[in-house]
Amino acid sequence: MMNDGMKFSRRRFLHNFAFASAAIAVGPGSWVIRPGWANAAEGPIKLGIATDLTGALGFAGNTDANVARMVIKEINDAGGLLGRPIELYIEDTATNESVAVGNVRKLIQRDKVDLVLGGISSSMRNAIKDTIVSRGKTLYIYPEGYEGKECMPNLFCTGPVPAQNCDQFIPWLIKNGGKRFALPGSNYVWPQTISAYARKVIESNGGEVVFEEYYPMDQIDFSSTVNRIISNRVDVVFNTIVPPGVSPFFKQLYEAGFSKNGGRIGCTYFDENFLEMNQAHEIDGLASSLDYYRALMDEDPVSAKIQGEYEKQFPSQFRFSAGSAATGTYRGLKLWEAAVKEAGTVDRDAVAAALDHAKIAEGPGGPAEMVPGKHHCKMNMYIGVAKGGRYEIVARSAGLVDPKEC
Amino acid sequence: MPGGSSDKVAATLGSQVVKLPSRRTETPHESTERRRILPALEVSLLVAAVLVPFVLQDYATIFATRVLILCLFALSFDLVWGYAGILSLGQSLFFGMAGYGVALLSRDLNIASIFVVLPVGALIGFVVALLLAGFLLLGRHPSSIVFVSLGTMTGAYAADRLAGGSSYLGGQNGIPSIQLMTVGSYELNEGSTFYYLALGILIIVYLLSRYLLRSQFGLALAGLRENEYRIGFFGYKAQHLKAVIFSISGAIAGMAGSLYAFHEGFVGTNVLGVVMSTQVVLYVLFGGSGTLVGAIVGTVVIEALSFWLSNSFQDFWPIILGVLLLLVIMFRPAGLVSLLLSERERVGTFGRPGKRGKNDAA
Repeated sequence: MMNDGMKFSRRRFLHNFAFASAAIAVGPGSWVIRPGWANAAEGPIKLGIATDLTGALGFAGNTDANVARMVIKEINDAGGLLGRPIELYIEDTATNESVAVGNVRKLIQRDKVDLVLGGISSSMRNAIKDTIVSRGKTLYIYPEGYEGKECMPNLFCTGPVPAQNCDQFIPWLIKNGGKRFALPGSNYVWPQTISAYARKVIESNGGEVVFEEYYPMDQIDFSSTVNRIISNRVDVVFNTIVPPGVSPFFKQLYEAGFSKNGGRIGCTYFDENFLEMNQAHEIDGLASSLDYYRALMDEDPVSAKIQGEYEKQFPSQFRFSAGSAATGTYRGLKLWEAAVKEAGTVDRDAVAAALDHAKIAEGPGGPAEMVPGKHHCKMNMYIGVAKGGRYEIVARSAGLVDPKEC
Repeated sequence: MPGGSSDKVAATLGSQVVKLPSRRTETPHESTERRRILPALEVSLLVAAVLVPFVLQDYATIFATRVLILCLFALSFDLVWGYAGILSLGQSLFFGMAGYGVALLSRDLNIASIFVVLPVGALIGFVVALLLAGFLLLGRHPSSIVFVSLGTMTGAYAADRLAGGSSYLGGQNGIPSIQLMTVGSYELNEGSTFYYLALGILIIVYLLSRYLLRSQFGLALAGLRENEYRIGFFGYKAQHLKAVIFSISGAIAGMAGSLYAFHEGFVGTNVLGVVMSTQVVLYVLFGGSGTLVGAIVGTVVIEALSFWLSNSFQDFWPIILGVLLLLVIMFRPAGLVSLLLSERERVGTFGRPGKRGKNDAA
């Protein structure tokens, strides 16, 4: 879903740089995280994490690596999996597909891991999936929300897809915004796919799409778009513009008086990390549709426990948030754990067969289950509205939402 | 400028003198001593390359295959910059277009035979380079180095953006799941077979390039690099020479691109972009431009260093690498190979000593 357009966020870069320096100063230690105990008979189960530790998406990749450290520590402390400890191998995909393929090969051919979880952007998944699945004969879990349509065997997706983002969100936007929609987006695969899906849902719910337009990824001046939105009396802007353009776009929209006159911004990927990119008053009232918000801590004890544990172990700037694929990573690892327990082995085909219908009762945002034969995951979805730099949860799905993929 | 000094090279052009005159005063013994280093370097690199799959583990052999393919790409840049003085900052255009071309062959037409894929890749590179040369190099007046370098760079950048915006080419997501390359019914998986294939192609291209550059054509190119007007006064059509070497280099880059696409099983917009073009410039400058072996040494050393550094210093390896590159380029402008090779060996000799006067054309 995300893209390297994010490299332009200077503040984010400085954050990352500061934390990278801190990591150097205290010493990151080995990147192979060995458990404190061993099972002499069979040796440990090897788990590979391939994620963007450096580069534009480093803020998300480091979160995912931390989530994996947390989950694996918990499993190991509870006696491991099938009586064997889990050894964690973390490789950097560096937000660069060419580097990534080489590093993922290390996981497959040198370390011979039993599962690879990772990849954040769709282009990264596309680059490494063959190295892992078809050439590497290894199981792969992709944790980030994305545009859908990935139906490769032995590849499982644990983030939300357009149907989950839109089915409940669009009717809510029509009710709490209006019928006239504008669909501005960045010009790449994810915005085009999700906008096409959103258009269908808008039209079948009695709404109307005033215009759908795509802009170069590095465009930061949106005055003509804003003019068009204001002069066409658009009620809802369903935004799929991504950083670096999104923040100036919202600012220009605010300055033109869009929200003051009752307009509503909807943006599915906007998690807590993005809230700080604009002044809080510029995006007050922005609605987003995700599988998890930090605000769930107040009502869901399981989410509160996971979020609290993460913040205790990793009190850093790398937030546990839905858009960073933190929830998808957690869900993916737990579903895999359940599948390995059921299969009684780490053999790929047996685990894939069990993962196909795996379920977990507890996770961030609630339970989750794989839809048999569909490679995607049912989960709860929530609608959050930004207020004063925080999200308030205003609606939630009645139950687990079907991904409607494959 | 890489390579030799202008006077020496140009002086040999009018007549068919094949050796550079300035060193004739050396004793024969010294001369042969010095001239043995380049062949020795080439042979030892070759022996090392042949032994790689026996010494290294599987995944390292696959990594080495990728390096060999990048060596081929580096050779293509060395031909234009090191020998003809054309600063092509868009070399990845040929590499990437060929990569995309063969990826489409594989995706849409289900063709993966090496006998189709490699020639098609080379042809795409050749044609694209020829068209670009027609625009950038074949004007009435010699085009300035800035015009050519910015022109080629713009080409690469534009191709990157266009591919990123085209849903037929997969947009930013690129084209994944390229099938394995086939030789007859045998599927070439990553590993030692693919490694030796890439090595074989690299050796052939290396030898052909050396033959080409040591001929009268190469001498004219070297003259062109040093002083384009002077070469014109000798009666050579300088622009045509440039267009020819530019297109040949495009074909080599195209072949490298098609191998790369099948080896990685994936092409994305980054193979077309400016980063890839810059990388190849670094390989060649680091190793030593104007010597074929320099391009190889540069690629191998940079790739091996970044592999090792990224393993050992996961957080700040690009900084170490950058500092090393700067140091070499500041203190050894002729590149790493200048530590071993004398200037005379780097400049080399041209033409065939036995057939003086017969190979008149260029």
